[in-house]
Amino acid sequence: MANDLLKRFSFEITSNDFITAGKSSSYIKSNLKSLGIDSKVIRKIAIVFYEAEINLVIHSLGGKIYCDLYEDKIIIISKDIGPGIDNVELAMTEGYSTATDKVRELGFGAGMGLPNMKKYSDIFKIISDKNGTLIELTIFI
Amino acid sequence: MNFSIMFDKEKCRGCTNCMKKCPTQAIRIKNGKAIIDHKKCIHCGECIRACSYGAYSPECIEWKNETNAYKCKIAIPSTTIYGQFPRGTDICVVQNAILKLGFDYVYDESWAAELVAKAIKKKIDNNKDIRPFINTNCPATLRLINIRYPSLTENLIALKTPMEIAGILARNNARKKFNLEDKDIGVFYITPCPAKLLAVTDPIGNLGPSVDWVIPLNKIYGELYQKVVKEDNLICSYPSLSGLKWSVCGGQSKSAKLTNFIAVNGMENVIQILEEIENGKLSGVDYVEVLACVQGCVGGTFNVINPFIASSNNKYILNTLDGEPINSDLECFEKLYNKGFFEFEFPDTESVNKINIKEALKKNEEIKQILAILPGLDCGSCGSPTCLSHAEDIYNGQSTIFECVVLRANS
Repeated sequence: MANDLLKRFSFEITSNDFITAGKSSSYIKSNLKSLGIDSKVIRKIAIVFYEAEINLVIHSLGGKIYCDLYEDKIIIISKDIGPGIDNVELAMTEGYSTATDKVRELGFGAGMGLPNMKKYSDIFKIISDKNGTLIELTIFI
Repeated sequence: MNFSIMFDKEKCRGCTNCMKKCPTQAIRIKNGKAIIDHKKCIHCGECIRACSYGAYSPECIEWKNETNAYKCKIAIPSTTIYGQFPRGTDICVVQNAILKLGFDYVYDESWAAELVAKAIKKKIDNNKDIRPFINTNCPATLRLINIRYPSLTENLIALKTPMEIAGILARNNARKKFNLEDKDIGVFYITPCPAKLLAVTDPIGNLGPSVDWVIPLNKIYGELYQKVVKEDNLICSYPSLSGLKWSVCGGQSKSAKLTNFIAVNGMENVIQILEEIENGKLSGVDYVEVLACVQGCVGGTFNVINPFIASSNNKYILNTLDGEPINSDLECFEKLYNKGFFEFEFPDTESVNKINIKEALKKNEEIKQILAILPGLDCGSCGSPTCLSHAEDIYNGQSTIFECVVLRANS
Protein backbone atom coordinates (compact mmCIF):
# COMPACT_ATOMS: atom_id res chain seq x y z
CA MET A 1 0.00 0.00 0.00
CA ALA A 2 2.80 2.37 0.93
CA ASN A 3 4.17 2.12 -2.60
CA ASP A 4 0.97 3.27 -4.30
CA LEU A 5 1.28 6.44 -6.33
CA LEU A 6 -1.29 8.80 -4.78
CA LYS A 7 -0.94 11.77 -7.08
CA ARG A 8 1.18 12.93 -9.98
CA PHE A 9 1.75 16.56 -10.92
CA SER A 10 3.30 16.96 -14.38
CA PHE A 11 4.81 20.00 -16.03
CA GLU A 12 5.98 20.68 -19.57
CA ILE A 13 9.17 22.79 -19.57
CA THR A 14 10.14 24.74 -22.68
CA SER A 15 13.78 25.42 -23.54
CA ASN A 16 14.94 29.03 -23.06
CA ASP A 17 11.57 30.19 -21.74
CA PHE A 18 12.48 32.63 -18.97
CA ILE A 19 9.00 34.14 -18.95
CA THR A 20 7.42 31.17 -17.21
CA ALA A 21 10.60 29.80 -15.57
CA GLY A 22 9.96 29.25 -11.88
CA LYS A 23 6.17 29.05 -12.23
CA SER A 24 6.06 25.28 -11.86
CA SER A 25 8.10 25.34 -8.66
CA SER A 26 5.78 27.99 -7.18
CA TYR A 27 2.77 25.87 -8.14
CA ILE A 28 4.22 22.74 -6.56
CA LYS A 29 5.21 24.61 -3.43
CA SER A 30 1.80 26.13 -2.81
CA ASN A 31 0.12 22.76 -3.48
CA LEU A 32 2.35 20.91 -1.03
CA LYS A 33 1.86 23.68 1.55
CA SER A 34 -1.89 23.37 1.27
CA LEU A 35 -1.57 19.63 1.88
CA GLY A 36 0.08 20.43 5.21
CA ILE A 37 3.41 18.74 4.45
CA ASP A 38 6.22 19.64 6.89
CA SER A 39 7.86 22.92 5.91
CA LYS A 40 11.37 21.43 6.11
CA VAL A 41 10.41 18.81 3.52
CA ILE A 42 8.77 21.45 1.34
CA ARG A 43 11.90 23.56 1.40
CA LYS A 44 14.01 20.64 0.13
CA ILE A 45 11.48 19.98 -2.60
CA ALA A 46 11.30 23.67 -3.51
CA ILE A 47 15.07 23.81 -3.92
CA VAL A 48 15.51 20.63 -5.97
CA PHE A 49 12.42 21.26 -8.09
CA TYR A 50 13.51 24.81 -8.86
CA GLU A 51 17.00 23.62 -9.83
CA ALA A 52 15.51 20.93 -12.06
CA GLU A 53 13.18 23.40 -13.71
CA ILE A 54 15.87 26.02 -14.36
CA ASN A 55 18.27 23.34 -15.63
CA LEU A 56 15.75 22.28 -18.25
CA VAL A 57 15.15 25.89 -19.30
CA ILE A 58 18.84 26.75 -19.59
CA HIS A 59 20.53 23.55 -20.75
CA SER A 60 18.00 21.25 -22.38
CA LEU A 61 15.98 21.23 -25.55
CA GLY A 62 12.90 20.98 -23.36
CA GLY A 63 11.35 18.26 -21.28
CA LYS A 64 9.03 17.24 -18.51
CA ILE A 65 9.11 17.27 -14.75
CA TYR A 66 6.91 15.01 -12.64
CA CYS A 67 6.26 15.31 -8.96
CA ASP A 68 4.90 12.04 -7.59
CA LEU A 69 3.32 11.81 -4.16
CA TYR A 70 3.48 8.62 -2.13
CA GLU A 71 2.44 8.05 1.45
CA ASP A 72 5.99 8.24 2.78
CA LYS A 73 7.96 10.00 0.04
CA ILE A 74 7.92 12.42 -2.85
CA ILE A 75 9.76 11.58 -6.07
CA ILE A 76 10.68 14.24 -8.59
CA ILE A 77 11.52 13.04 -12.09
CA SER A 78 13.11 15.36 -14.62
CA LYS A 79 13.26 14.05 -18.17
CA ASP A 80 14.53 16.01 -21.15
CA ILE A 81 15.02 15.34 -24.85
CA GLY A 82 18.68 16.25 -25.03
CA PRO A 83 21.40 17.20 -25.68
CA GLY A 84 22.67 15.33 -22.60
CA ILE A 85 25.53 16.10 -20.21
CA ASP A 86 29.04 15.51 -21.62
CA ASN A 87 30.66 14.75 -18.31
CA VAL A 88 28.26 13.99 -15.47
CA GLU A 89 31.04 13.77 -12.89
CA LEU A 90 32.27 17.26 -13.79
CA ALA A 91 28.74 18.67 -13.75
CA MET A 92 28.38 17.33 -10.21
CA THR A 93 31.28 19.55 -9.04
CA GLU A 94 30.21 22.64 -7.08
CA GLY A 95 30.80 25.80 -9.05
CA TYR A 96 31.22 24.07 -12.41
CA SER A 97 28.92 25.60 -15.01
CA THR A 98 28.42 25.56 -18.75
CA ALA A 99 25.89 28.40 -18.68
CA THR A 100 26.46 31.27 -21.11
CA ASP A 101 27.24 34.82 -19.97
CA LYS A 102 23.77 35.94 -20.99
CA VAL A 103 22.19 33.39 -18.66
CA ARG A 104 24.53 34.33 -15.81
CA GLU A 105 23.62 37.99 -16.18
CA LEU A 106 20.05 36.97 -15.41
CA GLY A 107 21.31 35.57 -12.11
CA PHE A 108 21.14 31.91 -13.12
CA GLY A 109 23.79 29.36 -13.97
CA ALA A 110 26.06 29.64 -10.94
CA GLY A 111 26.86 25.98 -11.40
CA MET A 112 25.23 24.63 -8.24
CA GLY A 113 22.30 22.89 -9.87
CA LEU A 114 23.22 19.21 -9.73
CA PRO A 115 25.22 19.31 -6.46
CA ASN A 116 22.30 21.12 -4.80
CA MET A 117 19.84 18.50 -6.06
CA LYS A 118 22.01 15.78 -4.61
CA LYS A 119 22.50 17.63 -1.34
CA TYR A 120 18.81 18.18 -0.68
CA SER A 121 17.46 14.79 -1.80
CA ASP A 122 17.62 11.46 0.02
CA ILE A 123 18.17 9.37 -3.12
CA PHE A 124 19.70 10.89 -6.26
CA LYS A 125 19.87 9.09 -9.59
CA ILE A 126 21.05 10.44 -12.92
CA ILE A 127 21.45 8.92 -16.38
CA SER A 128 22.53 10.99 -19.36
CA ASP A 129 23.36 10.44 -23.02
CA LYS A 130 22.94 12.49 -26.17
CA ASN A 131 19.24 11.63 -26.32
CA GLY A 132 18.55 13.25 -22.99
CA THR A 133 19.00 13.28 -19.26
CA LEU A 134 16.88 11.50 -16.69
CA ILE A 135 17.11 12.56 -13.06
CA GLU A 136 15.18 10.92 -10.24
CA LEU A 137 15.14 12.53 -6.81
CA THR A 138 13.53 10.96 -3.77
CA ILE A 139 12.73 12.90 -0.63
CA PHE A 140 11.24 11.02 2.32
CA ILE A 141 8.46 12.68 4.24
CA MET B 1 -3.22 37.46 24.76
CA ASN B 2 -2.72 41.17 24.52
CA PHE B 3 -3.75 42.67 21.26
CA SER B 4 -1.99 45.77 20.04
CA ILE B 5 -4.48 46.83 17.39
CA MET B 6 -7.90 47.92 18.62
CA PHE B 7 -10.90 47.35 16.40
CA ASP B 8 -13.97 49.59 16.59
CA LYS B 9 -16.94 47.59 15.32
CA GLU B 10 -19.11 50.70 15.08
CA LYS B 11 -16.76 52.35 12.59
CA CYS B 12 -16.37 49.21 10.43
CA ARG B 13 -18.47 49.21 7.26
CA GLY B 14 -17.40 45.78 6.07
CA CYS B 15 -15.73 47.24 2.97
CA THR B 16 -13.18 44.35 2.67
CA ASN B 17 -10.14 46.66 2.22
CA CYS B 18 -8.41 45.38 5.37
CA MET B 19 -9.25 41.76 4.52
CA LYS B 20 -7.67 42.05 1.08
CA LYS B 21 -4.51 43.70 2.41
CA CYS B 22 -3.92 41.27 5.27
CA PRO B 23 -0.76 39.28 4.37
CA THR B 24 -1.75 36.23 6.43
CA GLN B 25 -5.45 36.23 5.47
CA ALA B 26 -6.37 36.66 9.14
CA ILE B 27 -9.47 38.78 8.45
CA ARG B 28 -12.96 37.74 7.33
CA ILE B 29 -16.11 39.85 6.98
CA LYS B 30 -19.14 38.41 8.73
CA ASN B 31 -22.50 40.19 8.82
CA GLY B 32 -20.91 43.34 7.47
CA LYS B 33 -18.17 43.56 10.08
CA ALA B 34 -14.51 42.52 10.09
CA ILE B 35 -13.50 39.60 12.27
CA ILE B 36 -9.83 39.05 13.10
CA ASP B 37 -8.28 35.65 13.71
CA HIS B 38 -5.76 36.63 16.38
CA LYS B 39 -3.83 33.38 15.94
CA LYS B 40 -2.93 34.41 12.41
CA CYS B 41 -2.34 38.12 13.11
CA ILE B 42 1.29 39.26 12.81
CA HIS B 43 0.55 42.86 13.87
CA CYS B 44 2.05 44.42 10.78
CA GLY B 45 -0.51 47.24 10.80
CA GLU B 46 -1.57 46.80 7.14
CA CYS B 47 -5.23 46.88 8.29
CA ILE B 48 -4.71 50.25 10.01
CA ARG B 49 -3.33 51.61 6.74
CA ALA B 50 -6.02 50.00 4.58
CA CYS B 51 -9.05 51.19 6.57
CA SER B 52 -10.64 54.39 5.30
CA TYR B 53 -13.01 54.63 8.26
CA GLY B 54 -10.54 54.58 11.15
CA ALA B 55 -11.89 51.32 12.55
CA TYR B 56 -8.38 50.14 13.50
CA SER B 57 -6.22 52.05 15.95
CA PRO B 58 -3.30 51.38 18.26
CA GLU B 59 -4.17 50.05 21.67
CA CYS B 60 -4.56 53.06 23.90
CA ILE B 61 -2.53 52.62 27.07
CA GLU B 62 -2.87 55.47 29.52
CA TRP B 63 0.86 55.41 30.03
CA LYS B 64 0.85 58.64 32.02
CA ASN B 65 -1.04 56.93 34.83
CA GLU B 66 1.68 54.32 34.87
CA THR B 67 4.58 56.71 35.30
CA ASN B 68 3.69 57.35 38.98
CA ALA B 69 4.61 53.79 39.85
CA TYR B 70 8.29 54.45 39.18
CA LYS B 71 10.93 56.61 40.88
CA CYS B 72 12.85 56.86 37.62
CA LYS B 73 11.22 56.99 34.22
CA ILE B 74 13.37 56.31 31.17
CA ALA B 75 12.27 57.15 27.63
CA ILE B 76 13.79 55.28 24.71
CA PRO B 77 12.96 57.09 21.48
CA SER B 78 13.02 54.92 18.38
CA THR B 79 15.62 55.75 15.71
CA THR B 80 12.81 57.11 13.54
CA ILE B 81 11.77 59.91 15.90
CA TYR B 82 14.09 62.73 14.77
CA GLY B 83 12.95 62.48 11.16
CA GLN B 84 9.38 63.20 12.26
CA PHE B 85 10.08 66.88 12.92
CA PRO B 86 10.61 69.72 10.45
CA ARG B 87 13.98 69.69 8.74
CA GLY B 88 16.61 71.45 10.80
CA THR B 89 15.01 70.66 14.18
CA ASP B 90 17.85 70.20 16.67
CA ILE B 91 18.13 66.68 18.10
CA CYS B 92 18.76 68.12 21.58
CA VAL B 93 15.51 70.04 21.35
CA VAL B 94 13.59 66.85 20.57
CA GLN B 95 15.23 65.00 23.46
CA ASN B 96 14.39 67.83 25.86
CA ALA B 97 10.80 67.85 24.64
CA ILE B 98 10.66 64.15 25.58
CA LEU B 99 12.04 64.92 29.06
CA LYS B 100 9.39 67.61 29.49
CA LEU B 101 6.68 64.97 29.03
CA GLY B 102 7.71 63.74 32.47
CA PHE B 103 10.74 61.51 31.91
CA ASP B 104 13.92 61.60 33.97
CA TYR B 105 16.30 60.18 31.43
CA VAL B 106 16.52 59.60 27.68
CA TYR B 107 18.44 56.63 26.32
CA ASP B 108 18.73 56.87 22.56
CA GLU B 109 17.86 53.62 20.76
CA SER B 110 20.52 54.34 18.13
CA TRP B 111 23.30 53.26 20.55
CA ALA B 112 21.71 49.86 20.96
CA ALA B 113 21.22 49.72 17.18
CA GLU B 114 24.95 50.30 16.65
CA LEU B 115 25.74 47.51 19.10
CA VAL B 116 23.33 45.10 17.39
CA ALA B 117 24.86 46.04 14.02
CA LYS B 118 28.28 45.02 15.34
CA ALA B 119 26.76 41.74 16.53
CA ILE B 120 25.20 41.17 13.07
CA LYS B 121 28.58 41.64 11.38
CA LYS B 122 30.33 39.35 13.83
CA LYS B 123 27.74 36.60 13.62
CA ILE B 124 27.77 36.66 9.81
CA ASP B 125 31.58 36.48 9.73
CA ASN B 126 31.66 33.66 12.28
CA ASN B 127 29.00 31.46 10.66
CA LYS B 128 29.87 30.99 7.01
CA ASP B 129 27.71 27.89 6.62
CA ILE B 130 24.39 29.74 6.99
CA ARG B 131 23.40 31.90 4.01
CA PRO B 132 21.54 34.11 3.77
CA PHE B 133 20.97 35.32 7.30
CA ILE B 134 17.64 37.08 7.83
CA ASN B 135 17.15 39.97 10.27
CA THR B 136 15.09 39.48 13.43
CA ASN B 137 14.46 43.08 14.45
CA CYS B 138 11.19 43.53 12.55
CA PRO B 139 8.58 41.78 14.71
CA ALA B 140 6.02 41.70 11.88
CA THR B 141 8.29 39.86 9.44
CA LEU B 142 9.55 37.64 12.27
CA ARG B 143 5.98 36.53 12.98
CA LEU B 144 5.31 36.17 9.25
CA ILE B 145 8.26 33.76 8.97
CA ASN B 146 7.02 31.95 12.06
CA ILE B 147 3.56 31.44 10.55
CA ARG B 148 4.14 31.16 6.78
CA TYR B 149 7.82 30.25 6.35
CA PRO B 150 8.83 28.12 9.34
CA SER B 151 11.50 26.38 7.23
CA LEU B 152 13.43 29.67 7.16
CA THR B 153 13.82 29.67 10.95
CA GLU B 154 17.36 28.34 10.60
CA ASN B 155 18.30 31.40 8.52
CA LEU B 156 17.21 33.88 11.19
CA ILE B 157 20.15 35.75 12.68
CA ALA B 158 18.44 35.45 16.10
CA LEU B 159 19.78 38.61 17.69
CA LYS B 160 17.81 40.73 20.14
CA THR B 161 16.30 43.93 18.78
CA PRO B 162 17.78 47.38 19.45
CA MET B 163 14.65 48.11 21.51
CA GLU B 164 15.38 45.12 23.73
CA ILE B 165 19.09 45.92 24.09
CA ALA B 166 18.36 49.61 24.75
CA GLY B 167 15.89 48.61 27.47
CA ILE B 168 18.45 46.46 29.30
CA LEU B 169 21.30 48.97 29.00
CA ALA B 170 19.15 51.96 29.95
CA ARG B 171 17.91 50.17 33.06
CA ASN B 172 21.47 49.20 34.03
CA ASN B 173 22.67 52.76 33.57
CA ALA B 174 19.80 54.19 35.62
CA ARG B 175 20.30 51.63 38.36
CA LYS B 176 23.92 52.72 38.78
CA LYS B 177 23.34 56.42 38.20
CA PHE B 178 20.43 56.88 40.62
CA ASN B 179 21.19 53.92 42.92
CA LEU B 180 17.75 52.37 42.42
CA GLU B 181 16.24 48.92 42.36
CA ASP B 182 14.82 47.45 39.15
CA LYS B 183 11.20 47.79 40.25
CA ASP B 184 11.64 51.54 40.74
CA ILE B 185 12.74 52.03 37.15
CA GLY B 186 10.16 52.29 34.37
CA VAL B 187 11.33 51.90 30.78
CA PHE B 188 9.07 53.46 28.12
CA TYR B 189 9.74 52.86 24.44
CA ILE B 190 8.38 55.41 21.94
CA THR B 191 7.62 53.49 18.78
CA PRO B 192 6.40 53.90 15.19
CA CYS B 193 5.46 50.20 15.07
CA PRO B 194 2.28 48.36 16.11
CA ALA B 195 4.16 45.05 16.12
CA LYS B 196 6.57 46.42 18.72
CA LEU B 197 3.63 46.78 21.11
CA LEU B 198 3.03 43.07 20.87
CA ALA B 199 6.75 42.30 21.01
CA VAL B 200 6.56 43.64 24.57
CA THR B 201 3.22 42.31 25.74
CA ASP B 202 3.50 38.91 24.07
CA PRO B 203 7.14 38.32 23.13
CA ILE B 204 8.47 35.56 20.91
CA GLY B 205 11.10 33.33 22.54
CA ASN B 206 13.28 34.85 25.25
CA LEU B 207 12.72 38.36 23.96
CA GLY B 208 11.47 40.76 26.58
CA PRO B 209 10.48 42.12 28.88
CA SER B 210 13.25 44.68 29.19
CA VAL B 211 10.79 47.42 28.23
CA ASP B 212 7.81 48.03 30.55
CA TRP B 213 5.62 50.19 28.33
CA VAL B 214 5.38 51.03 24.67
CA ILE B 215 4.01 54.39 23.57
CA PRO B 216 2.76 54.83 19.99
CA LEU B 217 4.59 57.84 18.56
CA ASN B 218 1.46 59.42 17.06
CA LYS B 219 -0.28 59.32 20.48
CA ILE B 220 2.23 61.76 21.97
CA TYR B 221 3.30 63.61 18.84
CA GLY B 222 1.00 66.61 19.37
CA GLU B 223 2.18 67.21 22.89
CA LEU B 224 5.79 66.63 21.87
CA TYR B 225 5.54 69.02 18.94
CA GLN B 226 4.41 71.87 21.20
CA LYS B 227 7.37 71.29 23.50
CA VAL B 228 9.95 71.36 20.71
CA VAL B 229 11.30 74.82 21.54
CA LYS B 230 14.84 76.09 21.11
CA GLU B 231 16.34 76.96 24.51
CA ASP B 232 19.78 77.56 25.96
CA ASN B 233 21.69 75.07 28.09
CA LEU B 234 19.91 71.97 26.87
CA ILE B 235 21.05 68.63 28.21
CA CYS B 236 21.70 66.29 25.36
CA SER B 237 22.85 62.75 24.83
CA TYR B 238 23.82 62.60 21.19
CA PRO B 239 22.60 59.67 19.13
CA SER B 240 24.86 57.22 17.31
CA LEU B 241 25.22 58.15 13.66
CA SER B 242 25.66 54.51 12.70
CA GLY B 243 22.60 53.46 14.71
CA LEU B 244 20.35 56.20 13.32
CA LYS B 245 20.67 54.56 9.89
CA TRP B 246 18.40 51.75 11.14
CA SER B 247 15.30 53.88 10.64
CA VAL B 248 15.43 53.45 6.86
CA CYS B 249 15.48 50.10 5.04
CA GLY B 250 19.04 49.01 4.23
CA GLY B 251 20.31 51.05 7.16
CA GLN B 252 21.06 48.15 9.45
CA SER B 253 23.16 46.48 6.75
CA LYS B 254 25.03 49.76 6.24
CA SER B 255 25.36 50.23 9.99
CA ALA B 256 26.87 46.72 10.16
CA LYS B 257 29.20 47.67 7.26
CA LEU B 258 27.99 44.76 5.13
CA THR B 259 28.65 44.72 1.40
CA ASN B 260 26.79 41.62 0.24
CA PHE B 261 23.21 42.22 1.35
CA ILE B 262 19.68 42.67 0.01
CA ALA B 263 17.28 45.10 1.70
CA VAL B 264 13.57 44.67 1.05
CA ASN B 265 10.64 46.69 2.36
CA GLY B 266 6.87 46.53 2.06
CA MET B 267 4.89 43.41 2.89
CA GLU B 268 4.30 42.21 -0.70
CA ASN B 269 7.98 42.54 -1.58
CA VAL B 270 8.97 40.80 1.63
CA ILE B 271 6.75 37.83 0.81
CA GLN B 272 8.28 37.56 -2.67
CA ILE B 273 11.85 37.60 -1.36
CA LEU B 274 11.04 35.00 1.32
CA GLU B 275 9.69 32.74 -1.44
CA GLU B 276 13.00 33.16 -3.30
CA ILE B 277 14.99 32.27 -0.18
CA GLU B 278 12.80 29.21 0.28
CA ASN B 279 13.69 28.14 -3.26
CA GLY B 280 17.35 28.29 -2.25
CA LYS B 281 18.12 31.11 -4.65
CA LEU B 282 19.84 33.57 -2.31
CA SER B 283 22.46 31.26 -0.80
CA GLY B 284 25.21 33.54 -2.16
CA VAL B 285 23.98 36.55 -0.17
CA ASP B 286 25.21 37.24 3.39
CA TYR B 287 22.23 39.12 4.80
CA VAL B 288 18.66 39.77 3.78
CA GLU B 289 17.04 42.68 5.59
CA VAL B 290 13.25 42.31 5.44
CA LEU B 291 11.08 45.09 6.84
CA ALA B 292 7.28 45.03 6.71
CA CYS B 293 6.74 48.76 6.21
CA VAL B 294 7.43 50.81 3.09
CA GLN B 295 10.90 52.41 3.38
CA GLY B 296 11.44 50.48 6.64
CA CYS B 297 10.65 51.70 10.14
CA VAL B 298 10.09 55.28 8.93
CA GLY B 299 7.01 53.80 7.23
CA GLY B 300 5.59 52.42 10.50
CA THR B 301 1.89 53.11 10.99
CA PHE B 302 2.40 55.14 14.17
CA ASN B 303 4.59 57.68 12.36
CA VAL B 304 3.20 61.08 11.50
CA ILE B 305 5.30 62.09 8.49
CA ASN B 306 5.17 60.49 5.04
CA PRO B 307 7.79 57.69 4.89
CA PHE B 308 9.68 59.16 1.93
CA ILE B 309 9.89 62.60 3.52
CA ALA B 310 10.97 61.01 6.79
CA SER B 311 13.72 59.03 4.98
CA SER B 312 14.98 62.21 3.43
CA ASN B 313 14.85 64.01 6.82
CA ASN B 314 16.84 61.18 8.30
CA LYS B 315 19.50 61.48 5.62
CA TYR B 316 19.66 65.22 6.25
CA ILE B 317 20.22 64.61 9.97
CA LEU B 318 23.01 62.11 9.27
CA ASN B 319 24.72 64.59 6.96
CA THR B 320 24.49 67.56 9.30
CA LEU B 321 25.22 66.06 12.74
CA ASP B 322 28.68 67.14 13.90
CA GLY B 323 31.38 65.08 15.49
CA GLU B 324 31.69 61.41 16.43
CA PRO B 325 29.62 61.10 19.59
CA ILE B 326 30.58 58.17 21.80
CA ASN B 327 28.79 56.02 24.32
CA SER B 328 30.57 54.02 26.99
CA ASP B 329 28.30 51.00 26.39
CA LEU B 330 30.01 50.50 23.02
CA GLU B 331 33.31 49.72 24.73
CA CYS B 332 31.75 46.63 26.30
CA PHE B 333 30.76 45.13 22.95
CA GLU B 334 33.25 42.25 22.80
CA LYS B 335 32.56 41.26 26.40
CA LEU B 336 28.78 41.39 25.90
CA TYR B 337 28.96 39.49 22.60
CA ASN B 338 31.08 36.69 24.04
CA LYS B 339 28.66 36.37 26.96
CA GLY B 340 25.84 35.76 24.48
CA PHE B 341 24.11 38.98 25.53
CA PHE B 342 22.72 39.63 22.03
CA GLU B 343 21.49 36.10 21.31
CA PHE B 344 17.82 35.39 21.39
CA GLU B 345 16.41 31.92 21.49
CA PHE B 346 13.77 31.38 18.88
CA PRO B 347 11.23 28.81 20.02
CA ASP B 348 11.21 25.56 18.07
CA THR B 349 8.45 25.59 15.53
CA GLU B 350 5.77 23.17 16.57
CA SER B 351 6.54 19.79 15.10
CA VAL B 352 3.85 19.00 12.60
CA ASN B 353 1.91 15.83 13.20
CA LYS B 354 2.65 13.29 10.53
CA ILE B 355 0.00 14.00 7.95
CA ASN B 356 -1.96 11.47 6.05
CA ILE B 357 -1.29 12.44 2.46
CA LYS B 358 -4.21 10.41 1.18
CA GLU B 359 -6.67 12.32 3.36
CA ALA B 360 -5.01 15.66 2.64
CA LEU B 361 -5.29 15.00 -1.10
CA LYS B 362 -8.95 14.11 -0.70
CA LYS B 363 -9.56 17.33 1.20
CA ASN B 364 -7.75 19.36 -1.47
CA GLU B 365 -9.78 17.63 -4.17
CA GLU B 366 -13.02 18.60 -2.42
CA ILE B 367 -11.86 22.21 -2.03
CA LYS B 368 -10.94 22.21 -5.70
CA GLN B 369 -14.44 21.03 -6.59
CA ILE B 370 -15.98 23.86 -4.58
CA LEU B 371 -13.54 26.32 -6.17
CA ALA B 372 -14.65 25.20 -9.64
CA ILE B 373 -18.19 26.42 -8.88
CA LEU B 374 -16.99 29.83 -7.64
CA PRO B 375 -16.53 32.60 -10.24
CA GLY B 376 -12.78 33.13 -9.63
CA LEU B 377 -13.06 36.92 -9.44
CA ASP B 378 -11.49 37.17 -5.97
CA CYS B 379 -13.81 40.12 -5.29
CA GLY B 380 -14.00 39.49 -1.57
CA SER B 381 -17.72 40.31 -1.36
CA CYS B 382 -18.44 36.93 0.26
CA GLY B 383 -16.30 37.97 3.24
CA SER B 384 -13.28 35.80 2.38
CA PRO B 385 -10.24 37.40 0.70
CA THR B 386 -10.11 35.14 -2.39
CA CYS B 387 -12.28 32.49 -4.05
CA LEU B 388 -9.77 29.87 -2.89
CA SER B 389 -10.01 31.01 0.73
CA HIS B 390 -13.80 31.08 0.37
CA ALA B 391 -13.71 27.47 -0.87
CA GLU B 392 -11.53 26.54 2.14
CA ASP B 393 -13.90 28.37 4.50
CA ILE B 394 -16.85 26.46 2.99
CA TYR B 395 -14.98 23.16 3.41
CA ASN B 396 -14.24 24.04 7.04
CA GLY B 397 -17.89 24.92 7.66
CA GLN B 398 -17.15 28.60 8.28
CA SER B 399 -19.01 29.92 5.26
CA THR B 400 -21.52 28.76 2.67
CA ILE B 401 -21.61 28.93 -1.10
CA PHE B 402 -24.63 31.25 -0.81
CA GLU B 403 -22.36 34.02 0.46
CA CYS B 404 -21.04 34.39 -3.10
CA VAL B 405 -22.60 37.57 -4.49
CA VAL B 406 -21.81 36.70 -8.10
CA LEU B 407 -23.46 33.26 -7.92
CA ARG B 408 -26.51 34.81 -6.24
CA ALA B 409 -26.82 37.48 -8.94
CA ASN B 410 -26.60 34.89 -11.72
CA SER B 411 -29.12 32.45 -10.29
